[in-house]
Amino acid sequence: MADKQKNIIEVKNLIKRFGDRTVLDGINLNVPEGKITVIMGGSGCGKSTMLRHLIGLHQPTEGDIYVDNENIVGMSEKQMNGVKRKFGMLFQGAALFNSMSVGDNVALPLREHTDLSDEIIQIIVKVKLELVGLTGFEDFMPYQISGGMKKRVALARAIALDPKIVFYDEPGAGLDPITASMIDQLILDLSQKLKITSVVVTHEMKSAFRIADQMIVLHKGKVLQVGTSEEIKNSSNSYIQQFINGEPEGAIPLKQTSEAYLKGLLES
Amino acid sequence: MRDFFGRIGENCAFVFSGVARLSGLLGEVISVIFRSFTQKKTIKAKHIFHQMVLMGVDSAGIICLVGISVGMVLALQSAYQLKQMGAEIYTGALVSVSVTRELGPLIASIVLAGRVGARLAAELGTMKVQEEVDALTTMGLNPIQYLVVPRCLSLVMVLPCLTVIADVMAILGGFLIGITGIGINPYLYLAKSFDPLVLKDIYSGLGKSGIFAMVVALVSCHQGLSVEGGAEGVGKATTQAVVISIVLIIVVDCLATAVLYYALPA
Repeated sequence: MADKQKNIIEVKNLIKRFGDRTVLDGINLNVPEGKITVIMGGSGCGKSTMLRHLIGLHQPTEGDIYVDNENIVGMSEKQMNGVKRKFGMLFQGAALFNSMSVGDNVALPLREHTDLSDEIIQIIVKVKLELVGLTGFEDFMPYQISGGMKKRVALARAIALDPKIVFYDEPGAGLDPITASMIDQLILDLSQKLKITSVVVTHEMKSAFRIADQMIVLHKGKVLQVGTSEEIKNSSNSYIQQFINGEPEGAIPLKQTSEAYLKGLLES
Repeated sequence: MRDFFGRIGENCAFVFSGVARLSGLLGEVISVIFRSFTQKKTIKAKHIFHQMVLMGVDSAGIICLVGISVGMVLALQSAYQLKQMGAEIYTGALVSVSVTRELGPLIASIVLAGRVGARLAAELGTMKVQEEVDALTTMGLNPIQYLVVPRCLSLVMVLPCLTVIADVMAILGGFLIGITGIGINPYLYLAKSFDPLVLKDIYSGLGKSGIFAMVVALVSCHQGLSVEGGAEGVGKATTQAVVISIVLIIVVDCLATAVLYYALPA
């Protein structure tokens, strides 16, 4: 019998309200260490907001978030900076610094957070870029490389400090299917070879099923189901089935029925 | 009537909340500067010098042009009035005192509010929209420390230098008009220009330009980092950065002049 899986992230009863609008409504979820967890759901379901809470960019209205056994809710900036050293983040648009070369982008966290000499930093940059298949691109500027390359540079930057966890916000968004699958393969490699925990937010089903060890489906700020790829694929939940199959009609109507429209019109 | 007072109240609340946010940013900037004395790697000299080149060296040409033009206009207009009293010999004095006390710092800071303020707001706004600011935060780098403080310090160092250039160029512009257009003897013009000048005129002008630099940097960085939405948000922030900077420069100038020359005349 295998050891009980350790959870590196635990979210307990997370609620987030923006004014009167409740975006996250009592979320409970666990992220097992060393595995790939995919958080999915339709646009506006709260998955990006969820991710921003996990990386400390938002503070919840209620609830607790434990990252590596430390509650990051209400943490001071100094303490939070210590926690941030444990994770890297790949943003949807890569978020490379346009005024810096590819090499300087990857070197930035090393220069700011370590006392390593520039020679050592250059070696680490080379290694990280090689890991994402971009050897020799150190001197290129971000505007000189393609969208897929930018994502890979951003990934090299995210893993520059050898984090325990890497968060990915829509890693395949805006990329062609081949480049998107290359990014998926990189996520798998990082998980399998370096034992990095990955938390991926996406609504691309193909990619999600390819990489996920655990899937969490969000809908209207609540967790609809947690399970393996197989469990989600065979889910009896009509919303999940509609979402997986990309059907316009189903549990989530694309438009109002004529009766509902008429009723609304008469009431107004 | 109720609407009218309501609107006044809303506008006052808007102004006070803006002042409060700027004061908050100033507080954070000062705390980072103090922290830099005890913690290494807080502020990097390389970042400050890079910004000084972009803000200062690249603006020197336009400051020279505006400075010399203002000096010429001032000499022409004041000579016209002074001539009626037969006192055109004092044109140089009028130009040098008004330029060192007021116009030099004002024109340098207004030109920089347009040139540098807009650039700062657009640059930081675009970084915010493209999640670069979030990326910094996620890396454990404080955007105030990494982006705002080097820009504030550079502008505070660069604007007094540009004010000196504006002062010299405006006095030169006045001198050229004085000796050619008005026909004053060059030695006499220069002697009359520097006779009434006291060091306080120059110090106060430079001191004010340092304050204006802080105003431009804080307003522009605040506008840039507050951008919401996409390109439209960046455009709006850029315009507001320039407009608010110029308005605040003039208001602060009014207050500073009142304090320097009336409350503290000695």
